[in-house]
Amino acid sequence: MDQPVSTSAAPVQDGAADGAGQSSGMSPGTRYAARSIGSGVATLFFVVVFNFFLFRMLPGDPIGLYTRGRNVPPEQIAKLRAELDKPILEQFLTYVANPFSSTINSARFNRPVWELIFERVGATLLLVGTAILIASIVGTLIGIRAAWKRGETFDSVSSAVTLTLYAMPEFWLGMILLIMFGVGTAITPGVFPIGGIISPGVDPRSLEGILNVAWHMVLPVTTLAAVYVAEYALVMRASLIDEMGQDYLTVARAKGLKDKVVRRRHAVPNAILPTVTLIFMNLGFVISGAITIETVFSWPGLGLLTYDALRGPDIALLQATFLLFSIGVIVANIIADLLYAVLDPRVRV
Amino acid sequence: MRSTSWRSVAAVAAAASLLLLPASIGYADESPSPALISAEPTAFTVGITDDVDSLNPFTGIVSTAYEMYQLMYPSLTSPSAEDFSPVPDLAESWEESDDQSTWTYKIREGLKWSDGEPLTAKDAAYSFNRVINGNYEQTNYGGYVANVTKAEAPDDTTLVLTVKEPTPLMENLAVYILPEHIWKDIDGKAVRSYENEPTPGNPIVGAGPFVLTERQKGQFIRFEANPNYYKGKPSIDELTFRVYKNADAVAQALRKGEVDFADEMQANVFDAIQGEEGITTVNAEYYGFNEIGMNYGAALADGTPIGDGNPALEDVRVRQAINHAIDRQTLVDKVAKYGTPGSTIIPPIYSTLHLEPANPFTYDPAKAGALLDEAGYTLNSDGKRVGPDGEPLTLRLLGRQESQTSQQTVQFVAGWLEEIGITIDTKIVSEDTLIELNGEGRFDLFEWGWVVEPDPDYQLSTFTCAQRSSEEDGTIYAGLSDSHFCNEEYDALYAQQAVETDAAKRADIVKQMQQIVYDEAPYAVTFYYDLLQAYRSDRFANFVQQPTDRGPALFQFGTWSYESITPASAEDGDSTTASGSESGSDSGLNPALVAGLAAVAVALVAGVVLVTRRRASDEDTE
Amino acid sequence: MTMTRPGMDPVRTPTAKQVTRARRRASRSRSWRSFRSNRSGMVGLVVLLAFVVVAILAPVLFPPSTISVTQATGEPMSPPTAGFPLGTDESGRSILALIVWGARISLVVGLAATVMSMLIGTVMGIMSGYFGGGLGLVLNRFTDWFLVIPFLPLAIVLATVLGASLINIIVVIGITSWPGTARLVRSQTLSIGGRPYLERARALGAGNIHLMRRHILPNVMPLVLANTTLMVALAILSETTLSFLGLGDPLSPSWGSILDGAFTSGAMTVGAWWYVLPPGLCVVAVVLAFTLIGRALEDIADPRRQGA
Repeated sequence: MDQPVSTSAAPVQDGAADGAGQSSGMSPGTRYAARSIGSGVATLFFVVVFNFFLFRMLPGDPIGLYTRGRNVPPEQIAKLRAELDKPILEQFLTYVANPFSSTINSARFNRPVWELIFERVGATLLLVGTAILIASIVGTLIGIRAAWKRGETFDSVSSAVTLTLYAMPEFWLGMILLIMFGVGTAITPGVFPIGGIISPGVDPRSLEGILNVAWHMVLPVTTLAAVYVAEYALVMRASLIDEMGQDYLTVARAKGLKDKVVRRRHAVPNAILPTVTLIFMNLGFVISGAITIETVFSWPGLGLLTYDALRGPDIALLQATFLLFSIGVIVANIIADLLYAVLDPRVRV
Repeated sequence: MRSTSWRSVAAVAAAASLLLLPASIGYADESPSPALISAEPTAFTVGITDDVDSLNPFTGIVSTAYEMYQLMYPSLTSPSAEDFSPVPDLAESWEESDDQSTWTYKIREGLKWSDGEPLTAKDAAYSFNRVINGNYEQTNYGGYVANVTKAEAPDDTTLVLTVKEPTPLMENLAVYILPEHIWKDIDGKAVRSYENEPTPGNPIVGAGPFVLTERQKGQFIRFEANPNYYKGKPSIDELTFRVYKNADAVAQALRKGEVDFADEMQANVFDAIQGEEGITTVNAEYYGFNEIGMNYGAALADGTPIGDGNPALEDVRVRQAINHAIDRQTLVDKVAKYGTPGSTIIPPIYSTLHLEPANPFTYDPAKAGALLDEAGYTLNSDGKRVGPDGEPLTLRLLGRQESQTSQQTVQFVAGWLEEIGITIDTKIVSEDTLIELNGEGRFDLFEWGWVVEPDPDYQLSTFTCAQRSSEEDGTIYAGLSDSHFCNEEYDALYAQQAVETDAAKRADIVKQMQQIVYDEAPYAVTFYYDLLQAYRSDRFANFVQQPTDRGPALFQFGTWSYESITPASAEDGDSTTASGSESGSDSGLNPALVAGLAAVAVALVAGVVLVTRRRASDEDTE
Repeated sequence: MTMTRPGMDPVRTPTAKQVTRARRRASRSRSWRSFRSNRSGMVGLVVLLAFVVVAILAPVLFPPSTISVTQATGEPMSPPTAGFPLGTDESGRSILALIVWGARISLVVGLAATVMSMLIGTVMGIMSGYFGGGLGLVLNRFTDWFLVIPFLPLAIVLATVLGASLINIIVVIGITSWPGTARLVRSQTLSIGGRPYLERARALGAGNIHLMRRHILPNVMPLVLANTTLMVALAILSETTLSFLGLGDPLSPSWGSILDGAFTSGAMTVGAWWYVLPPGLCVVAVVLAFTLIGRALEDIADPRRQGA
């Protein structure tokens, strides 16, 4: 949800425009890659620093809350407080030196944060990965078709559907599907599980377990995929339409090349490029979907962990998940940049 | 071309349905397998929403963790199932010395740990000394041994604890006795990160009614009955706690037969389940209360005033007026849904200690108004109370973000106080923030609650002058007293009850203390909320409520129910199967729907093929 | 200055200002006409107006007592009846009343956050596009950095730090969404910046601020306005999500916090579809409305994409 998906889809690749003059001995491709990674690392550093100071601003007495209602001797409380209250510079250096340290404890779960995160990463990747895979294939196909048959029934219907899906809060769609197919209404059967990743007692490594997990995945993946499909279809359509207006295609057609050839060999591949990079760049959108959908379906991943961390709030946990999400997006952006460099020769020059 | 693509469609569809077939055929019930002719182990499953944070008794915080500890480890005494009075557990009997400086406990003879090692007084002495002399170990248990200077075991069946002064708590020491031969290998530093988790073939050594055999974090915790338990092997062979994400999921699981016991149900879910066949609901009184706390006059423990509380609240008439302005019955009906109107700070479930005040704060807005008038806050033409300085009486009311009942309560209270002319400024903050605001005295009114243990000492201490905030290096830290109440008479009585070992005399003092707090009204106790539980009575019977017929059936102080639950029907295991099959389709796979899914898959594949087929034909003309 | 010719009435030559005004008027009515011809845009506008009217009339349609927990009269969690056309929530309040009042909050927050985001974004975009060299690069980098941070985690973190209130939600959404606008404005500024008449103006002595305000800004505005409409749609979706997670003001019913209420009170388990369906439908309707209007405006503002 960081950029409005208007009909103008192509990202402004002005990053390539500046500074591409002097050669310094490295090949342009390597230089580009190095610059991309370099700026990613710089951004990451900013995120770590930002993370630290932001949470220092949080009001609250975590030790007070930790010991409330429990018979902890006052000397012990004082000791716990003393451990927490080192000078800010020392805390900063400790944090920056190793933000992934295993001594950082979650207040709510009373366990190291990174251990909690490590336990949940798999579930989120499974959910989000499957949804993105399905959505990007389906969405791209829909977008291509809609753009090519612009103005015809398929285009109008698919545009209407995708626009509506895009306008939906994804968690709301999830709740509706859960009521309809998880709990069941008078008109729809409640056959799917209402939450969780696996039925209790089933061995996740057995065939039965795998199918059981797949069954649990149906509703959440459908919800996520529906929302992503809308985004990808809209972007693909817009970028293909943009591409189709290009001069070189008119020339190609004038030369006598058939429509389908023009489409398949020239327009689509060139239009896929900004779509693919946009898919990577909009990872932030994907993450926000994961957080809310995991909450609705009680899917034990990073998103639900973040939601749980809002009780309290559990500062250490929020800090860690925020850092992780930022890293994910930064890495995805670097990949997008590199992909762009590989696929589009114009950039490297 | 066309024939090839149709053939490939058929192939894919066939493969897809083949893949799904084994699931419908080989699908196994995930409840206990059907009874065969021989006796089947009885398995009892409890659904919980809060996974245990740590199985190490020195580290755990959440209440479910303590349920596990009491299943694994004995303590010297236990609060009785009838009325919480201390009854023998590991200690057969105990005695305070004439000079009140030592307590001698007679430990049962011939007991063994689950690995066969003898369980003696030496283990008890070790456990106590570990806490007394420990550093990290002090966090969870230090409060109980604050007055104990040392623990000795002159022989295998005698434990002697030396105290600095007479201490009634000695009858109710909630310190777990750990096996020395295991824990001596984990030193003071290692204990912080020691997980105490079982591995296959290596259950955790304990001496409670059950032995911890298996655990998967976030999934389940499994126990097996302890054949060496001194009260006899429990009737349940296998005890499992399954973790669910929320109360809804537990209720669904109870209905479907996945679990036999659901704890902490939500009111509307509880209502929906009432009267369902085979399920019995338990509307249990609970040990907790909620209150509207007031700024009595925030100060440090030494008396230095802090914060910016409205001085109006320092007048007892204003506080009593607020008490009269709250309609507790409405709060019970609309917010708590299940509970009773609140009065004093020791809940009625503790029948020997609870004081039912003779002068209750009834819902009486007229009386509230009269008290405010008396205090000098009269109504002006706009219907607002103004003080002697001409300014309208405005109070800040803080609710907690984490609790929906808190937010609802403050909305009601704000409404009622506005009705008697007080201007209320409501704000919702996180609990973290609220503690800080309490500590610094920057509040007027707030909503929170407490859970009270059987021994009242801790709860009573929260109203002592010494528990107000403290200051260190310029930062003010909260103590336990969030209202900053301070009363000399109360403090004197507190010191008295702390050393009074005669139960009846102590109860008397505690009641006097409750009356003082009630009259001075630093709190307006809103309600005592109930704990809603439910279990499958078609499978299990003989639950023991603590106190009898009033309190919770599980998650009690003690393992009473676990020791007495038996299968409902006479035949072993049959009852589990019976309800297991009648609960119909579980959340696993249902053959009928597998077939439906296969059909959908085929349709999808066909659809994709259709789409690609057209494009293929486009390319054909190339 | 008058010019007369024999037999004609005195004619006044129009002043520069009058000419400008007339041209602007003509262009506005042209825009309106082309907007009107855009069917989906008109549908969006009508829907939006309907919601705005309902939002304004909220206190008339449903007095404040109907959304107060303390004065709720209905049975908790009951399905639609004559007295409660959309059923009740867990406190017995009418869902219809909550939704009508929720329209106010969702619309106001969406608009306010967008205004904030648009202001920051336009200023940042114009400056980073106009100033080349070091300053422009730094501003551009800053925008990029902000864009990279994932929206929802950042919003959660900010909302947690600032506390749960409406003003803070507006600030949070404003702070997290300006980069989109900035990027767009920057690219527009860059493309305008090369035009010859700017050179001429500079040669005539125009200062930077004047150039940015009088030349770049008006050229950038049409696209910014179209973008703004789309941003409102996003802002409303963001507010709904944040409120659903419990970060909005718990005491005022926005559509997102109604859904939060449904979720936390177990509406799904008891199948209380009336609690879940209507608020979401409203969000979809309003967001779609803004999106359609925005796309129509974009088509007008950017003739290159007519018919896209």
